[in-house]
Amino acid sequence: MSVVRPPDVRLFLTDYLMRKLAGDGRALTGDLADDCDLLLSGIIDSLGLLDLVGAISQHFGRELTFDEIDPEQMTIVGPLCRFVAEQLSRY
Amino acid sequence: MKMAKALWTGFMESAERFPERPAVFAEGRTLSYRELQGLATRIAATIQAYPEFSRVPLTAVFGYRSPTAFAGVLGALLAGNGYVPLNRTFPTERTEVMFERSECRSIIVDSGSLPQLRKLLDRADQPLLVILPDEPEARAFREQWPRHTFIGLGDLDSPASWREPTATPDAIAYLLFTSGSTGIPKGVMVAHRNVTSYIDYMVDRYEITERDRLSQMFDLTFDLSVFDMFMAWERGAYVCCPSQKTLINPGKFVRDMDLTIWFSVPSTVAFMRQLGMLKPRQYESLRLSLFCGEPLPISSATAWLEAAPNSVLENLYGPTELTISCTLYQWDRFRSPEESDLEIVPIGYPHPGMNVLVTDHNLNEVAPGEEGELLMNGPQMSPGYWRDPEKTAAAFVVPPGKSDVYYRTGDRVRRPTENRPLTHLGRTDFQIKVLGHRVELGEIEAVVRKVAGLDGVIAVGWPVTVSGAGGIEVFIEGEVKEKDALRGAVGAALPEYMVPKRFHCMNRLPRNVNNKFDRKAMLKLLEEGV
Repeated sequence: MSVVRPPDVRLFLTDYLMRKLAGDGRALTGDLADDCDLLLSGIIDSLGLLDLVGAISQHFGRELTFDEIDPEQMTIVGPLCRFVAEQLSRY
Repeated sequence: MKMAKALWTGFMESAERFPERPAVFAEGRTLSYRELQGLATRIAATIQAYPEFSRVPLTAVFGYRSPTAFAGVLGALLAGNGYVPLNRTFPTERTEVMFERSECRSIIVDSGSLPQLRKLLDRADQPLLVILPDEPEARAFREQWPRHTFIGLGDLDSPASWREPTATPDAIAYLLFTSGSTGIPKGVMVAHRNVTSYIDYMVDRYEITERDRLSQMFDLTFDLSVFDMFMAWERGAYVCCPSQKTLINPGKFVRDMDLTIWFSVPSTVAFMRQLGMLKPRQYESLRLSLFCGEPLPISSATAWLEAAPNSVLENLYGPTELTISCTLYQWDRFRSPEESDLEIVPIGYPHPGMNVLVTDHNLNEVAPGEEGELLMNGPQMSPGYWRDPEKTAAAFVVPPGKSDVYYRTGDRVRRPTENRPLTHLGRTDFQIKVLGHRVELGEIEAVVRKVAGLDGVIAVGWPVTVSGAGGIEVFIEGEVKEKDALRGAVGAALPEYMVPKRFHCMNRLPRNVNNKFDRKAMLKLLEEGV
């Protein structure tokens, strides 16, 4: 099974958010910085997070478990990408 | 003669008995009963020192998940006022309406809410008493807004100058705003006697002790928050409030805080399941799991109990007008599936003293086993809506053949036969639940109508879920040239959960045979992927 790296997750994340925001009549301005907090910056809300997790799971074909991540880190781009990549590479 | 009880009485007794035990956890720190009581009595003494700001006996608490917010609630009560919670995650415009309608002249503000406070101050047409316990001193505020009275932490009065107010059972303990059909939120008055009657029953039922640790998942603007705070404080227990971000991962919070009592809306269970947070035996510390605010699917109840196997699970039901909850049902894995309707856990049996009436459109009682609207009355029934006799008269009614007033819940239930529980079947009107929040579709329509300048506006809950709807979609008859501007203006006026996900403009909206807008036809369009 191929290893998923954080940049792969980030690539998908950027593409997903651009599409999602365009659907809402908004735009993603600039690159997603490592320390960008998706929740505090208003890019997604807690429900948007569920959609995002569902989309990542579907894209990479694996279930994700968010039980172990520190909630403070969960919506920050860098830690989120690393956590997802680590989860996906675990099996 | 026994002294009348007020909502603050239990807290003060616990503070005497357990001064060093933890009272509240918020923003990552714990306040003991002694510390919380100290700050709350200083706030209360300060409010009492300026009686001219309490002619309307209400104080607003503009705080969000902070120690100051909790101290503010107690401070307002200990001053002899009711509290009016405001929420900085709501649009400022809505907060302004709530604040103005409440007629509060005193307000307690935490540091995180200061940016929005500035707008309230600019708009206030009368002088205000503004208490800022997170600010060491308030000189800069005084210079900028000289007509208001600002009190920083250093200016708060000493606890020694606080005088315990007379407990008046009919006085307002809190005023909570709920969604209103005209676009203006309604203020539900809850009296001390309503809420003390409730707390007295529930602390005994759940055998709360000083060793309990209760979750505080609800914002103060949601009346279920009253349960967490005052059930805990009545018996010297610890109320644990996660931050806004920790709400996203509540499972870790349960384990980190070693919680014994969980209380949330059922949507949180669905959320946790999707994020893989409900593994078997994950929350063994919980002895009690409570759900309220929207229908609880059987699948959520069983999944939760696998993760929290030591826990008794109860489903509570109750509108704000009947004080937190007025019926309850204890889940039993053998009996409950058979007692449920629509795969939803029953709402059970009324609390002691609360009376149930299930009626048809004319408010005549239906036969056992039939469906109808749920009406209730009893010691928990609110005196009505603040400064709104018209809406109070419409919702608090005397049904034919009865001599006392009942509250019309707008919920459809099945009238039980024999000793069976009440089951919830949905809403009778256009109030729906979106993720646990009660939403009046008419309120959203009123805002869109005003912003778009068009009359034909219909809001529907979509996608339809077992608990209500996942969001809101709006149909507009006519053309809106700048949808982004419309979305922005609507978003500024409504809380996030009420903001429509999409606007659909049509030359003519579907109508039924009576020439009324046909909501079902619009839902069908959504089903077909319009």
